[in-house]
Amino acid sequence: MNHYSYHSHTADVIMKVRAESLNELFETAMRGTGNLLKNNFCKQTAASSIEKKIVVHSVDLIALLIDFLSEVLLNSHIDKTIYCNLNIVKLTDREIEATISGSSVEYFDEDIKAVTYHEADVFKQKNNQWEASIIFDI
Amino acid sequence: MIDKSQLQKKSDFLWEIPMTTRADMRVPAHVYALPEIIESMSDDRSLQQLVNVTTLPGIQKAAIVMPDIHEGYGFPIGGIAATLYPDGVISPGGIGYDINCGVRLLVSNLEYDDIKDKAEQIAIELYNKIPSGVGKGGEIKLTQEEMDEVLTEGAEWAVRKKMGFAEDLASMESMGRLKDADPNAVSDHAKKRGFDQLGTIGSGNHFVEVSRVDEIFDNLTAERFGIKNNQIVILIHTGSRGLGHQVATDYLKIMLDAMPNYNIKVPDRELACVPFSSAEGQNYYKAMCAAANFAWCNREVITWEIREAWKQLFPNKNELQLLYDVSHNIAKIEEHEIDGKLQKLIVHRKGATRSFGPRHDEIPERFQETGQPVIIPGSMGTASYILAGTSQSMLTTFGSSCHGAGRALSRRASKRQVNVAHLEKELNEKGIYVRAGSRTGVAEEAPEAYKDIDLVIETVHRANIALKVARLRPVSVIKG
Repeated sequence: MNHYSYHSHTADVIMKVRAESLNELFETAMRGTGNLLKNNFCKQTAASSIEKKIVVHSVDLIALLIDFLSEVLLNSHIDKTIYCNLNIVKLTDREIEATISGSSVEYFDEDIKAVTYHEADVFKQKNNQWEASIIFDI
Repeated sequence: MIDKSQLQKKSDFLWEIPMTTRADMRVPAHVYALPEIIESMSDDRSLQQLVNVTTLPGIQKAAIVMPDIHEGYGFPIGGIAATLYPDGVISPGGIGYDINCGVRLLVSNLEYDDIKDKAEQIAIELYNKIPSGVGKGGEIKLTQEEMDEVLTEGAEWAVRKKMGFAEDLASMESMGRLKDADPNAVSDHAKKRGFDQLGTIGSGNHFVEVSRVDEIFDNLTAERFGIKNNQIVILIHTGSRGLGHQVATDYLKIMLDAMPNYNIKVPDRELACVPFSSAEGQNYYKAMCAAANFAWCNREVITWEIREAWKQLFPNKNELQLLYDVSHNIAKIEEHEIDGKLQKLIVHRKGATRSFGPRHDEIPERFQETGQPVIIPGSMGTASYILAGTSQSMLTTFGSSCHGAGRALSRRASKRQVNVAHLEKELNEKGIYVRAGSRTGVAEEAPEAYKDIDLVIETVHRANIALKVARLRPVSVIKG
């Protein structure tokens, strides 16, 4: 089952993510980021009025997840939008091509300054589940 | 894992992790902290991070951390690293996401008795005048052309637009403008994040605080700084907002991608770096300078907002002079003595304040005898300090000092542990009024979330890297 949870870090927040597949790991991490920006927004909002295409290339899978979330965060800040839905066209260890969609908001509850590479991790468990941990600078 | 058991005591305030501790260390690690701070240090990764910093190509003398040390990203907060110019590395992690986060102090001609009955009204008036809070934009919406002007001119832009005084410029580190800034090195995305954020303080630990001078430690220097007991002063703590965060994010990725081209390997991705002289290094430096200029302009515009509010609050006695504006997240090209010779260095300060001593070319004429003012903000229920830079800091810490109390609790832990209503009542009883965008913001920044600032200040004072001049106590606090 796909799941994310937030945990304490000295000045910030760690998000732990678990998912059945790599595609779902990226989507769950994106929804977790959205729900941190605005409390439970992606859990409550089904409509998606704003759509963006994004392409990200990175040096490896860990960097790809961080760079992807940074790109989503950038779009959130610029568009004042929370992105909750992800349609992946292509996903490899070093590239993602996707459409993100979401809804605009008047304000965020939390100011995520950046998605950091600090202690970032992505790995596949023996039971084939994917897990990731991401630290946000807030 | 490096921990405090590996610290070797050099004096009552200086500890060393020797180069022999790990094979990849290029220099030793120095920790400035009184024994009480070392004892209470948590088992976070800050010392591990400090040792990682010692591995940076071109690093000189030592990786240094101040007593407000805590875990950051790649670099520990409170860290200083100087690399050899021009081929040593520059690392965005050594500057931080909030480029040129810094503090300035405005000196009023009022005393505590003049305002003590107005503390709550001051908080309300300033809160209404200064946009603050999560992602909050301001009244100023910069066009693309104006944004490039701000990134180039820094605080001069605000002065040119009649939102600042020309005499303020002389009271800012680098006169509020880094001349190597190039707006073309800043992505359009970063500019879009910042277009409506000039004149805003943002959220987190950023604030505007009206304080009273509570104790003078050095009468002569205080007099030169124009500081008197019971005087009302105003602290502004903020940085380059979303624009700076995006510059850091953009260039961390660029450097991670580029590092293999320079055969650089680092023990932590957040230490991503390239030679300063490389194309990527130069572009980042120019973008960082531009973001730093945005931050200085931001603090100057906020100063103007405060001066406007002050005129309404105190129609007959509203003078607010800028004492000094210091940066604590920045990289600067400076000259320091290495092995008896003056050497040009790229000095990274991440949660560390410049602390240049007397008779240094970089500091204004009026501080030539005293050393530069070093302004250290505390948490909202405790104290802040005005210190003076020293010549000793030039010899030991690349002319640097601490930057604050340093977090002890995570923001989430603070939210869980702090009862905001109780905290507000406690602060009110002490005569401190807080106006914040959200109650959780108040909980995150509660005094108990921070270390004991008095011990931090005592360390830098005893180490003679910045000397105590005056202590401030908060009266009215505006937070995001």
